[in-house]
Amino acid sequence: MKVQVRQLRKEFGKTVAVDNISFSFDSGHVFGFVGPNGAGKTTTMRIISTIEEPTSGDVLLNGVSVCEEPELARRVVGYVPDTLPAHADITVHEYLDFYARAYGLRGRKRTQAIEAIEEFTNVTGIREKHLKALSKGMKQRVSLGRALVYDPDVLVLDEPAAGLDPRARVELRELLALLAERRKAILISSHILTELTEICNGVVIIERGKILETGTIEDVLKKSTPRRTLAVRLLEPQNAALMRELLQLPFVEAVREAASEVLFEMSGDEAAAGDILTALMAKKFRVIEFRQTRANLEDIFMNVTKGGVQ
Amino acid sequence: MSAAGIKQHLADWRNWELNPIVIKELRQAVRSWAVVAMLVLFLVVLFLTSLWFLVTQSFTVDADIQLGGSMFSAFIVILAMASVFFIPLYVGVRVAMERQENNPDLLYVSTLSPARIIRGKFFCGAYMALLFFSACMPFMAFTNLLRGVDLPTVFLILAFLYLVVCAANMVAIFLACLPVSRPFKFLFVIYGIFQSFGIIASLVGISFNMMRSGMGAMMTGRDFWVNVAMFLALGLAGTGLFYVLAVALVAPPSANRALPVRIYVTAIWVLGGLASFSWTLQSGSPDRLLPWLFVTFVVMLAALLVTISNADELSLRVRRTIPQSFIRRAVAFLFYNGAAGGLLWIAGILAVTYFAVLAGRSLGTKFDFDENWYWFGPTVCYAFAYALLGLLVHRKFLSRRAPKVAGLLAVLLAGGWAVVPSVVLFFLNRLTWTSVQQMQPGNIFNIFTLRDNELRLEHLYCSVVLLGLLLVLNFRWFARQVQAFRPPGPTPKPGPVAPAVPPPIPQ
Repeated sequence: MKVQVRQLRKEFGKTVAVDNISFSFDSGHVFGFVGPNGAGKTTTMRIISTIEEPTSGDVLLNGVSVCEEPELARRVVGYVPDTLPAHADITVHEYLDFYARAYGLRGRKRTQAIEAIEEFTNVTGIREKHLKALSKGMKQRVSLGRALVYDPDVLVLDEPAAGLDPRARVELRELLALLAERRKAILISSHILTELTEICNGVVIIERGKILETGTIEDVLKKSTPRRTLAVRLLEPQNAALMRELLQLPFVEAVREAASEVLFEMSGDEAAAGDILTALMAKKFRVIEFRQTRANLEDIFMNVTKGGVQ
Repeated sequence: MSAAGIKQHLADWRNWELNPIVIKELRQAVRSWAVVAMLVLFLVVLFLTSLWFLVTQSFTVDADIQLGGSMFSAFIVILAMASVFFIPLYVGVRVAMERQENNPDLLYVSTLSPARIIRGKFFCGAYMALLFFSACMPFMAFTNLLRGVDLPTVFLILAFLYLVVCAANMVAIFLACLPVSRPFKFLFVIYGIFQSFGIIASLVGISFNMMRSGMGAMMTGRDFWVNVAMFLALGLAGTGLFYVLAVALVAPPSANRALPVRIYVTAIWVLGGLASFSWTLQSGSPDRLLPWLFVTFVVMLAALLVTISNADELSLRVRRTIPQSFIRRAVAFLFYNGAAGGLLWIAGILAVTYFAVLAGRSLGTKFDFDENWYWFGPTVCYAFAYALLGLLVHRKFLSRRAPKVAGLLAVLLAGGWAVVPSVVLFFLNRLTWTSVQQMQPGNIFNIFTLRDNELRLEHLYCSVVLLGLLLVLNFRWFARQVQAFRPPGPTPKPGPVAPAVPPPIPQ
């Protein structure tokens, strides 16, 4: 399954919510969709899920246009909105049963699909509870279950981790990893960027309806933070001497002290980093930790976005 | 569905399942405090009313020997209040809430077809009505024992009421599907409440008449069944119209929304025409054609507003279904999405209706149609002229706005021109009933306030000139629409968007 977003544009009156954005991702990928509030993430996701019509452009799901053939597109896309199911008078099982029927599952196939989904999303114990009586985390699971009940190839998840407690977040992350293993193409937006770093293969950073960065997490990290930051910790506290020494070495561009370690930025590659370590050892510094501090999506997000909303 | 598909569907009857919407809606209805409270209140009122009648009437010396009839009348009022007022309101409000402008319920983006969704909502209302009617039935049947009403009358009135409730349900669903903002929907609810009082009053009146005439005795006559058939046909036609309209509203914008609506309206118009002509032939009075003329006129003027609110560009999926052959394409042009084809379709239907009624004059002698010519011609010409003016203004000055603005413009221009002179006269302190009755060229409503047919004739000349002018101004647009109405040619596929992430290694 290939998801291609082509020159997508959405206007609400004079406001351009999404401004000619294009990106694509495939089955087995978890694609992060990152941006400040009002950047156009939800609008894009709603267009992919056929809820909104774009002003121009299109989204192709394995060649099926969401504008021209929304009925066909709906068969392959599952959408988990940022608003959770709020039906006051329906149980979890009835809710899933309705959507299974709505997507054409019949008889035993439907019963089996619902049971499997209830088990997968771990809602079997609460299947007879009313939706209104559920916690936010449980509602999130039910919402995910609803999107999965007809086994769509593409999953669009809008802020699924918002408001979840740490345990629920870990469980959600595990569910997403499992779904990626099942060859689903997943687009996920979240403000909890450290989590996206751990689960996403690729990322789109969007602001004011325009794409600022897109690519694999590694590529984007490289592009956004061209200089490496490394940390050195010594057995004995000799940070002042270490900082002086580092500044004399090639490739080292900036040095600063952080708690018990020294951080330095360098422009070279991994071999250059190896040379620096060798040089420090040669100068009899007793290095007990030498590591590259990994920039995460949060750093990139802060670097590339300006915090503008529309 | 193709013939083979229908055959397959019928053969697979063991696996038929109830519409998912009906299941969900009924599950929710039985848990809804509003439905339960209404049903309990309904039963309590029925019980107390029966008790009151029995206590106050049965034990008195001058007891009503037709007590059953009186009680039945009271029950009719209670049932009409409960079912006509509550059920359409409940169904309509639920649909309206699900179809919030910016955040529709996810069931509308499931693989359920729009027709199934609307049918599900409709059947839910019908089942709920059945519940209320079933609750009322024992009380009503009991009145038969107290004399004053016969059982066939009871069942016929209940059937009549039930069909009206179902029709009201369909109208409520249609109104709830209209793509308007929440304040407008709220206004519709208020309108619906007031309207339902009117419906209840007329329903009760008709039911009383039916009861007084004693339906049981009339059932052996042919006229009775002709009237029943006519009522059923009209009710089904009206309900069907609102059904296809609601389905079109729920369908995706890229779908050929106009096609089923125009086919349905054309079919009903043809059947209505045939029925009117056969009625005329039987009775020998051509004025039986007038209801057909009036209904066609009203429906087509409403269709005119909707049609000019259509987008000019057809979606790719609609264009893919345009036939290749010239004749089939010409027919498709009339029925597919698009303002130009719609205008032709409406013009065709109105013209055929008019000339058919003119020809129908020869079928009898008691009818002078000339009187109708004076309002029909100018009104239709003005309506088309304002529709074309709305399209022209939208195209030239507001082309970035949504197509529905063209319909709004047509109404505003026609209404504005009709109101402005009266406003000016009001401020000059010269607004009188006589001034309103004077000829005002271009005022569509003025035709109906005039008393002099000569002035109406002047309206006709004026409207024809205006229409001619606007036809000339819109001709190039129309020609472009006709030319563009053809299946899409082979277009080069746009280049792929490079994936940001390399494909994962297959496991």
